[in-house]
Amino acid sequence: MARRRHVIVGGGTAGLNAITTIREQDAGASEIALVSAEPPYSRMVLPYFLGRRIAESHVFTATPARLEALRVQPYLGRKAQSLDATARRLTLDDGTVLDYDDLLIATGSSAIRAPVPGADGRGLHSFWTLEQARRVVAEIAPGSRVILVGAGFIAFTILNAILDLEARLTIVEIAPQILPRMIDRTGAEMVEGWLRRHGVEIHTGVTLTGIEESPEGKRLRFQRGEDLLADVVIMATGIRPNLEWLAGSGVAVNRGVLVDDHLRSSVPTIYAAGDVAEGRDLVTGEPALHAIEPTAMEHGRIAGANMAGDDVAYRGSLLMNIVEVRGLEIASFGAWEAQTGETSAMLRPERSAYRKLVWDGDRLIGAMIVGKTNDIWTTNDVGMLKGLVQSGKRLGPWKAHLHRNPFDLKRAFVASGTTASLLPRTLLGRPSIPAEQIP
Amino acid sequence: MKILRIIPERCTGCLRCEIACSYMQTGTFQPAKSVIRVSSFEAHTSYAPYTCTQCSEGWCMTACPVEAITLSPVGAKVVVEDRCVGCKLCTIACPYGTIFYNPDTHKAFKCNLCDGHPACAEACPTQAIEYVEAETADWLGAFAAARAQPHLATALARGEGR
Repeated sequence: MARRRHVIVGGGTAGLNAITTIREQDAGASEIALVSAEPPYSRMVLPYFLGRRIAESHVFTATPARLEALRVQPYLGRKAQSLDATARRLTLDDGTVLDYDDLLIATGSSAIRAPVPGADGRGLHSFWTLEQARRVVAEIAPGSRVILVGAGFIAFTILNAILDLEARLTIVEIAPQILPRMIDRTGAEMVEGWLRRHGVEIHTGVTLTGIEESPEGKRLRFQRGEDLLADVVIMATGIRPNLEWLAGSGVAVNRGVLVDDHLRSSVPTIYAAGDVAEGRDLVTGEPALHAIEPTAMEHGRIAGANMAGDDVAYRGSLLMNIVEVRGLEIASFGAWEAQTGETSAMLRPERSAYRKLVWDGDRLIGAMIVGKTNDIWTTNDVGMLKGLVQSGKRLGPWKAHLHRNPFDLKRAFVASGTTASLLPRTLLGRPSIPAEQIP
Repeated sequence: MKILRIIPERCTGCLRCEIACSYMQTGTFQPAKSVIRVSSFEAHTSYAPYTCTQCSEGWCMTACPVEAITLSPVGAKVVVEDRCVGCKLCTIACPYGTIFYNPDTHKAFKCNLCDGHPACAEACPTQAIEYVEAETADWLGAFAAARAQPHLATALARGEGR
C-alpha cells in the first residue's frame, strides 16, 4: 500500500501544529508536503522584533533542518493556486501539481487597509507579515511621528515597541472607543486615560478620508477635525482570511471555511484550521471565525490528529486576547460582549483595575480584566478567569459572592472545584508532548 | 512522576513556602515572585498553598508560539528563558492561573519543581507540601468548599448579592 500523503497549505501556527501532531502519531510513516508562501515564523512575536527585544532569527518556527527532521517536503515561497477536490489535486502558482489523500487549508489571513485615497501610497505600512514588519523596523527612529490607524488588538500589540523606539505615537480610531472588539466602554476609558498619561495621543470617533504627501510629512485628513502629520503611518484596519484560491473548489465557505467538530470541511478529505476556519465557538456553540493564535494551535492539533487517523472531536475555541500597554494588562474571554447575559462589574480607579463578568445562569460565559502588570493578582486572575469560562463550571452560591466582589476570584475558583473539573481535560485525549521532542 | 501533594489541613499559614520558593526561583526573598501562593479561608482561620499541578495538557506549553515551554527531566513544564519573549499567551491559556509574568525580566515564570528538589516542600515545617510519586489532583477543592460554607451562609443571610 502506498504511503498516505498529506498536503498542508500554510506554514503558520495551524499548519505547523498539524504537522507535529501527525508526526507525534505516525513517527514519519506518511508523506507530508508543506506549501507556504512565507518561511514559517511566529506572527505573535513580531512586535518584539519591532521593539528590538529579539533578533529577527528568533521569529522563525521551523527551519529547513527542522522540517527535514520532521520528514516534511517543503514548497516554500510557493502559493496554492487552485484546488480540485474531486481529483484530490492541488496546483501551485509555479504549475507544480500535488496529489493528496487529505489536505489542510491553513492559509491564514491578510491585513486589509481602510479604503481611503492614498492608503496604498509609499511609506504607509501594515504590520502583519514578517516582510511588513521589516519595513516598519527600518523606518521608525527616535522622534519619528508615528500614526496608527486603527485601535484594535493588532495595533495595541505593537504600541509598546513603538514607544520603546522613542517614537511619538498618535492613535486614530473610527469607533467611539479604543479596542472596540476586545473591551467595553468603561474599560476602554480607563486604558485611554492610562495611555494619555504615557504620552500617547488618541483620537477616537474620527473617520480618515485621505492621506497625502506634503513637505511636512504625510498629511492625514479626517471627516471632522484637524489634519495630522506623520513620518510613518501604520494601517491596522483589520484582516481577512486568505480564501481566494478556493474559488471553484467546491469547499463550502461562509465567512471562513465551514468545519465540523473534527475540523473537516464540506469535503471529507479536506480540513481547515486557524484564521481561515469557521468552527465551533466553545461558549456559544455557533460557528465563528476566531483569528487568534490559541485557536490556530488547537485547530491545527485537532486537524493533525484526525488526518493521522485518530478520531478526536473538538469542544470549540474560546475567544481570548491579552495585550499589555505600558504596564497595564488588558484581557478578555468568551462572550464578554454578550448583550443578554447578566453582568457583574467593578471599577477600582485608584488601582487602575476593572473587572467584568458575564453570566449565563450560574456559569461564567465571558470576562474582561484590566489591571496593572505589577499587581500580582492580575496575571493570577487572568488564568483563573479563563478556567472558569473554559470549564463552564456551575458556581452556585459563588455567583452571589463574585457579584459582590469580582476581585475575589481565587476563593470561588478553588472552592467550586474548578481545578477538579479541568484536570482530566486534554485537547487530544492524551498528555501533551513538547513539540521539540517530536519526532 | 513525583509531584507536589498538598495537604491543606496541615497548613498553618506561616508562608515559609512562599519565601523559600521566591529565594530558590529568583535569589531574593520576595513572596510576590513566589510561584506557590498561600490563601486564607474561613476568615483567616485556615490556610492552604496553591501552585501548578503540572497538568497533563500543559496548556501553557502548547500555547507558546515559540516553544519556550518544555518538559524538564523531572516532568515539570518549564519556561526556557532564552526563548520566551514575554507575549503572555501562556498566562491566558493556563486555566489554573499558575503561570505568571515578571515585568522586570519580561519573561513568564512558573513552578519548575526546583529541578526535583522543591524548596517549598523542604521548607514546610508541618509537611503540608510533600514531594511524592502520585497522580496530580485538586488538593484544595473540598477543603476550601467546606470552609466556605459558613462564610457564604452568613453573606446570603445578610442579603448581600443576589
